[in-house]
Amino acid sequence: MKINVDGLLVYFPYDYIYPEQYMYMLELKKTLDAKGHCALEMPSGTGKTVSLLALIVAYMRANPNDVTKLIYCSRTVPELEKVVEELKSLMVYYEKELKEKPNILGLALSSRKNLCIHSQVSLERDGKIVDARCHSLTASHVRAQHKHNQDIPVCGFFENFDAHGREEPLPAGIYGLDELKDYCREKGYCPYFMARYAITHANVVVYSYYYLLDPKIAEQVSNGLSKKSVVVFDEAHNIDNVCIESLSVKINRRILDKCQQNLESLSKLINRIKDTDAERLKHEYQRLVEGLREASVARETDVILSNPVVPDEILQEAVPGNIRNAEHFVSFMKRFLEYMKTRLRVQHVVSEIPPSFLKDCAQKVCIDRKPLRFCSERLRSLLRTLELTDIQDFSALILVSNFATLVSTYTKGFILIIEPFDDRTPTISNPILSFSCLDASIAIKPVFDRFQTVVITSGTLSPLDMYPKILDFRPVTMAMFTMTLARTCICPMIVSKGNDQVAMTSKFESREDPAVIRNYGNLLVELSAVVPDGVVCFFTSYIYMESTVASWYEQGIIDQVQKHKLLFIETQDAAETSLALLNYQKACNNGRGAVLLSVARGKVSEGIDFDHHYGRCVIMFGVPYVYTQSKILKARLEYLRDQFQIRENDFLTFDAMRHAAQCVGRALRGKTDYGIMVFADKRFARADKRGKLPRWIQEHLKDGLCNLSTDEAIQVAKRFLRQMAQPFHREDQLGLSLLTLEQLESEEMQKKLEQKMQYV
Amino acid sequence: MFIKGSGACSECGTALRRSNFRLQLFEDPYIEKEIDIRKMILKDFNKKEEDFTSLKDYNDYLEMVESIIYNLTNNIDVESTKKQIEFYKKDNKDLIKKNKSKLSKDEEYLEMLIQQEKQESEVQRQLLQEDEARQKNMKLKNKETLIDELMFSEMSAADIMASHRELTKVTDTSSTLPKKATTEFSTGIKMGVQDTYIPLSKVETGELYKYEPVEVFMCGPKFLSEEELAILGYLNHVRGASNPDRGGGYRSVMACQRALQDSYCGLYYFPDSGAAS
Repeated sequence: MKINVDGLLVYFPYDYIYPEQYMYMLELKKTLDAKGHCALEMPSGTGKTVSLLALIVAYMRANPNDVTKLIYCSRTVPELEKVVEELKSLMVYYEKELKEKPNILGLALSSRKNLCIHSQVSLERDGKIVDARCHSLTASHVRAQHKHNQDIPVCGFFENFDAHGREEPLPAGIYGLDELKDYCREKGYCPYFMARYAITHANVVVYSYYYLLDPKIAEQVSNGLSKKSVVVFDEAHNIDNVCIESLSVKINRRILDKCQQNLESLSKLINRIKDTDAERLKHEYQRLVEGLREASVARETDVILSNPVVPDEILQEAVPGNIRNAEHFVSFMKRFLEYMKTRLRVQHVVSEIPPSFLKDCAQKVCIDRKPLRFCSERLRSLLRTLELTDIQDFSALILVSNFATLVSTYTKGFILIIEPFDDRTPTISNPILSFSCLDASIAIKPVFDRFQTVVITSGTLSPLDMYPKILDFRPVTMAMFTMTLARTCICPMIVSKGNDQVAMTSKFESREDPAVIRNYGNLLVELSAVVPDGVVCFFTSYIYMESTVASWYEQGIIDQVQKHKLLFIETQDAAETSLALLNYQKACNNGRGAVLLSVARGKVSEGIDFDHHYGRCVIMFGVPYVYTQSKILKARLEYLRDQFQIRENDFLTFDAMRHAAQCVGRALRGKTDYGIMVFADKRFARADKRGKLPRWIQEHLKDGLCNLSTDEAIQVAKRFLRQMAQPFHREDQLGLSLLTLEQLESEEMQKKLEQKMQYV
Repeated sequence: MFIKGSGACSECGTALRRSNFRLQLFEDPYIEKEIDIRKMILKDFNKKEEDFTSLKDYNDYLEMVESIIYNLTNNIDVESTKKQIEFYKKDNKDLIKKNKSKLSKDEEYLEMLIQQEKQESEVQRQLLQEDEARQKNMKLKNKETLIDELMFSEMSAADIMASHRELTKVTDTSSTLPKKATTEFSTGIKMGVQDTYIPLSKVETGELYKYEPVEVFMCGPKFLSEEELAILGYLNHVRGASNPDRGGGYRSVMACQRALQDSYCGLYYFPDSGAAS
């Protein structure tokens, strides 16, 4: 249908629309008009993706001078594919309505592993190996050699693309990963480089977070994107962690040993080249003297080595004299490496800020700050000059040089922590140096600065005001939308005590208490007796899950559960977990019913949907606080307190509640779906925790459901399930939670919507 | 061997001193040796970036130092390198002495950051403690007043509880940490930290200014000087200056000159030949 959103004609590919979708589009339009950033929360399963796409594409067509590009960032490849599917159906609708193909080019970009069509390279499974092999076929020096010696293999697809691909742009249309591969197979181009090239002129680009947030990748991939783009971060509730990870480095003894080997082979190589081809090194030296940045010389394919955010001055300044010479540089790295080794030989935990690390480094091994900053640039240049094809072997050295550049570039917002052993195994010496970013806003700042509009959206962004604080941006709009429902199809409740009135909690002091564990067990047994099909349980950690399940086994609870349902368990092994998931779904499908025990923050809690009968009930055993004794977390909390005035407890609760919401949100994936959400911990009932749940859950969490015992909870669940079992048709939803065009435009509805709009 | 503090090596006879022996700090003896040499060399080669006029010179200097160290550690041309060092020492005696106790800009900057961090964390810790103590006190006080009220007040217990709850809510939200203490002035200059001297930028001294009369190319007849204007009677054709005019600095010569310049300018210009006589 065609809707009028605040004066903008939006083509919406479905005949019906949810009221919250309409409101979402209104807010989005406002943000686009204001050319600012926004944070929007809308429950999962209410069509966020299609609303985003429909509105922004319409806006782009109406104001081609204001918005030129939509960059849609998601987390995983399946999610990318989903977005592309939605985009395709939108385009089909456009074509039907306009009677001509809309002139819009949309494409998905992923790693080489997912895009390669080379007959041998594409058979590799590991992404790193694919990258390395691709590089060994497409690096400029390999291709130069190929010209003289036809025996040296190159990639035909890339050669073809390099020769013709750039003149002939991709025809308008929507290209998912498979379509892109098909098109390129037909033409004989390399899909990866085609996509990399095409994103500069495409209207809609769909790719992963890392292409924008990880400065090492962003510099190469997303550099040329226009300022007038709209950037959307979907499923952005963990965006701060992604930002932090992308700038953090962990170094242990093994990496340093590998680094040593790298340096030795490097110096051997330099000696050999000095004998055979001294000209080449001299040439590089000359270039460095003149301060030419080799980026200008570098060709597209060579840009494989990562380099962290280098400040502009480094790009313009010449490399310092003491690392200009290749040999000097190698000995420089050796010295730094030895220094790192001495640092790793600590007996107690050390935590220090980068300046004091640099000072110590200068005293011990006479390495100043300046050459350190150039470290990764210099290594890049050296590796290129040596014409190495197997760059993957040097990953350890690259990592250390990146660390050197980072530690000398940033004096604030970072911390160095050296731990001689893991906290959980204090007897085994395993020194590890973590250079960790404390400030999520550092990595995302360039994105906010560069692009006109950045949309941060997810099903669970509560409490919304936390995100602008930790990401350090000023949104023009922040809004939360609830789910308008024709029937209350979610049933959240807080179970705080067992039948014996012993409080249920995963609090540290009482989590080993057999009474608490038994009560948790009983809750599961009784729920599994009344709930049909799938039940998903989330524990706070793997260790806690293990100990609880062990006690349940001794108490005979496992046997009781298995009378009603099959039991599956998530482990840290990805393959094992996916097998468990497969069988879990099988058990749900054939009616036997199943219970899945998994862990908050694990793979299941983040990426797997339990729609319809796969998840009729979710039980959250305990509040999923992060492991608070970790030194890195402590440092980050301190930083947040000092810099952003966020109290430790506020942040910890915020983090725990967003994960809890993620977990329970797995069960409800649409309006026809229904599910029970059980929060089994008395601490959930407190105002500070309850208030941090997303609004669409809070709305249904009445006071009467906040302090239940197990048997009361079973009664509530039974009643709810009986209601839900009644037949439910589309007609029931129409006019309430599902609107046709006429209904949407009716005055009464518009008024209602206006009232509903909830601002933060 | 070291009974006297020094002695000759039993194998090669080189003189050794006990004070020159120490524990090995690094795993690689090569690095150990190199750093020893480096520290020694850097004692003399202590020029700073500020001592050079251009970045390129500084970089060349750095590379020279690096090559010296490299040669010494790898026993390449030891003799000539040592000679080079001697030369350098002689040439730069004053500068070496001057720079001995000077920190480079980067070092200064780091020092400042470390200081600042120390200060800040101290302040933060104090603030936090104060805040905690205050909150504790507040809670105690609230409790006491509540009990007092319950004991003596006329209101119903429920009312008292309700009003009290509101009171605690207000105080709870107000007791957040105080805003960060200001550490810099509005101009961005840090307060209280002693990095404040800004080195004067070198003033480029060029040639002294010399006055040269401006030559105007008018492409027309020559101008007449002021006296000539008066003598030849040109001034009769312009308005004479009244007293108020003269007070304002106006003289009739000006109007006359301007009119003449206007009319003369470009008179000899012939577009077809493109030249002026």
